[in-house]
Amino acid sequence: MSGVPLAAYLALGLFMFMTGVVGVVIRRSPIVIFMCIELMLNAVNLTFLAFARYQFSPMVAGNSFKEGQSAMAGQMMVIFVMAVAAAEVAVGLGIIMAIFRLRDNIDIDEMNLLKG
Amino acid sequence: MDNNAVWLIILLPVLGFLIQGLAGPSLQKRIGKKALGVLAVLPIAISFVLGLMLTQGLASQEHAEAVIVTGGSWINIMGLNIPFEWVVDPLSMTMVLIITGVGALIHLYSTAYMAEDKDFSRFFAYLNLFVAAMLVLVLGNNLPLLFIGWEGVGLCSYLLIGFWYTDTTNTKAANKAFIVNRVGDWSLMLGLFLIVVVISGANVPVEDNRYLSYDAMLPALTTALKANPAMATAIALLLFGGAAGKSAQFPLYVWLPDAMAGPTPVSALIHAATMVTSGVVLLNRMNIVFQLSPTASAVVCAVGAFTALFAAIIAFGQTDIKKVLAYSTVSQLGFMFIACGAGAYWAGMFHVTTHAFFKALLFLGAGAVIHAMSHEQDMRYYGKLGKYLPITFVTMMIGTLAIAGVPGLSGFYSKEAILGSAIANSHAGQLSAISGWVGLGVAALTAMYMGRLAMLTFLGKEERWRKLPVAEHHDHEDGHDDDHSHALTGDHKPKEVPVAMWLPLVVLALLSAGAGYILNQGKRFEHWLYPSGLSQLGELKHEVPNLEIYSYIAAGLGLVAGVLVYIGGLPAKEGLDETKWARWRRSAANQFGFDALLTNLFAEGGRDVAIGTSAFLEDQVIDGAVEGSASGTRNFGGWLQQIQTGAVRLYAMLMLLGGVGFVGYFLFVVNRGGK
Repeated sequence: MSGVPLAAYLALGLFMFMTGVVGVVIRRSPIVIFMCIELMLNAVNLTFLAFARYQFSPMVAGNSFKEGQSAMAGQMMVIFVMAVAAAEVAVGLGIIMAIFRLRDNIDIDEMNLLKG
Repeated sequence: MDNNAVWLIILLPVLGFLIQGLAGPSLQKRIGKKALGVLAVLPIAISFVLGLMLTQGLASQEHAEAVIVTGGSWINIMGLNIPFEWVVDPLSMTMVLIITGVGALIHLYSTAYMAEDKDFSRFFAYLNLFVAAMLVLVLGNNLPLLFIGWEGVGLCSYLLIGFWYTDTTNTKAANKAFIVNRVGDWSLMLGLFLIVVVISGANVPVEDNRYLSYDAMLPALTTALKANPAMATAIALLLFGGAAGKSAQFPLYVWLPDAMAGPTPVSALIHAATMVTSGVVLLNRMNIVFQLSPTASAVVCAVGAFTALFAAIIAFGQTDIKKVLAYSTVSQLGFMFIACGAGAYWAGMFHVTTHAFFKALLFLGAGAVIHAMSHEQDMRYYGKLGKYLPITFVTMMIGTLAIAGVPGLSGFYSKEAILGSAIANSHAGQLSAISGWVGLGVAALTAMYMGRLAMLTFLGKEERWRKLPVAEHHDHEDGHDDDHSHALTGDHKPKEVPVAMWLPLVVLALLSAGAGYILNQGKRFEHWLYPSGLSQLGELKHEVPNLEIYSYIAAGLGLVAGVLVYIGGLPAKEGLDETKWARWRRSAANQFGFDALLTNLFAEGGRDVAIGTSAFLEDQVIDGAVEGSASGTRNFGGWLQQIQTGAVRLYAMLMLLGGVGFVGYFLFVVNRGGK
């Protein structure tokens, strides 16, 4: 593990995140968009874990974290993100199912009821 | 006689008002109209007797001293104490006797005159309240109390003019009277405020802080105003403005002729005998201010003389018997103000007294005629009524001769006193002499138009209502509508009025005949009112060489002219067809356009200003602001609406850009802070 530098994790996370962002913006299928959102969440998770592993916290200068404590904080955050993501998928898929039943169509560009 | 009886004098009419106003209709069912009428007359009559006793007590003293009856505090703030207090002095008692004496007679007369009216008790409630308010006006020992009475009589006048409120013309006349009076009241109030300013600046310590009570105020005012004549003129003119409103002087006289819309006893009580004299009472009460201001006195003289002449001419253009008397009242009030302007305040009060007798008599007589003629008021339908109404005829003739200034009757003496003092005294400068001579001419005119009234109504050759169609009798409708003017038919037979109506006529006729002579004996009235002369002007002169002879000539000429012109009955030039009238008479009939001018200028003009203001301020400014803000918001919203495309992916994109922008800015700030 020590052979892989932190930057590699961050680069992978960045790549995954950008892939997710681009997917959300350009794809029209809500299922794919969901998958892209998951991708973004996982990119963030990866970044959390990498920082936790390397115990590197440039955002908190002169940090008040003690040894070991910040590692746990990063991993806890990942658990939270996964829980939220699961809930989000459950709700989101439910909404998509409802829309599909209503309109026989789930093209994201057709959903413009909020147009002013 | 205990002076505390003055409380009873005031409270009895109030009690009468409460009885009539609160329990009237139910009492009427239980005891009938006759008994209710007695209950209305009684308080006034008792007040009169009490007034008589108080006056006797006052007159038995060598120099009548003003007695003040105090009754507790009314307003007591910041070192100013205005108590309820009444003054028993010659001026107030003279007025009390006129108000309650003539008032009681008119109440008695009204019990018969209003016997058929369904609002019997309401009428007497107003009438009693009126007497109470008038008594407060004359008896109050400070200006705020006078003001209460002043407004009280204004209110009652409004209520009584609009008594038959189902007719719009009556309510309009009532409104007119009230509104025109308000103009005068406004002036009076400014005068009062100015007096308060002067008194508070004078720094004269007064016992109990009763700064506005006459006994304390008048001496302080004298000292303060002597040092400041301009202020005296200002106060005097403002007070005169108030007096002109209540006493119907030019240009505020316009309400009085219209006030004839009320029942005739009201015209007699309010618009002849009492309320319209309150202006003269005010000038008498506050005479010190006028004594100190020759300028204001000259104005009073000039306005009085002009009003007297103006109204006398207008009287010739009137065919309504009550309107002739109304303008005659305005004219006679002008005489009173000539006297007050000339400094002969007592002569003004003298004329108030005699005028109260003969004008009440004339109005009540006119009421009797109207009553006998099915409420027709147009003299062109009268004629030869003396044959049918002998008592009314004789008494009214006495009144006519009294107002015309025939020697021996009361009007002659008071008019002599006025003209003599106006010509002989120079307090108001040249104007007072001029006013006196104008007054002499007006006296001739007075004799003439009264001759016209008497000839057209009681004498002449034909009974002119005979020419009217003989209509089938329809029953009297309840209430008094315009229908009454059509109720007179060709086969109408006038009947003499009942005793309750002619008895007051006889009493008033006796007073009209004798009061002037009796009161004038040895300057009795002058010494009664002003025992030690005027504090600033001293004793007044009123001897003018040959004035009596001139007066005989004026009265004689006027009467003869009046009789000669109308001896052949109604001239064709004054007939029912008003287009054949002489031009001057037609314009006199509509007050030379003065009323219309006032209406156009103030009523219509005021409305035009209001409409203009509404068009500009309301439509442009206020609505503009409201609608502008609304449409501005709408336009801004419409512009913002364009970014609400509803495209989910675009929203996602914007969210991304926003997030990136936020984070980027945050990082930028942190980096800069790190440097």
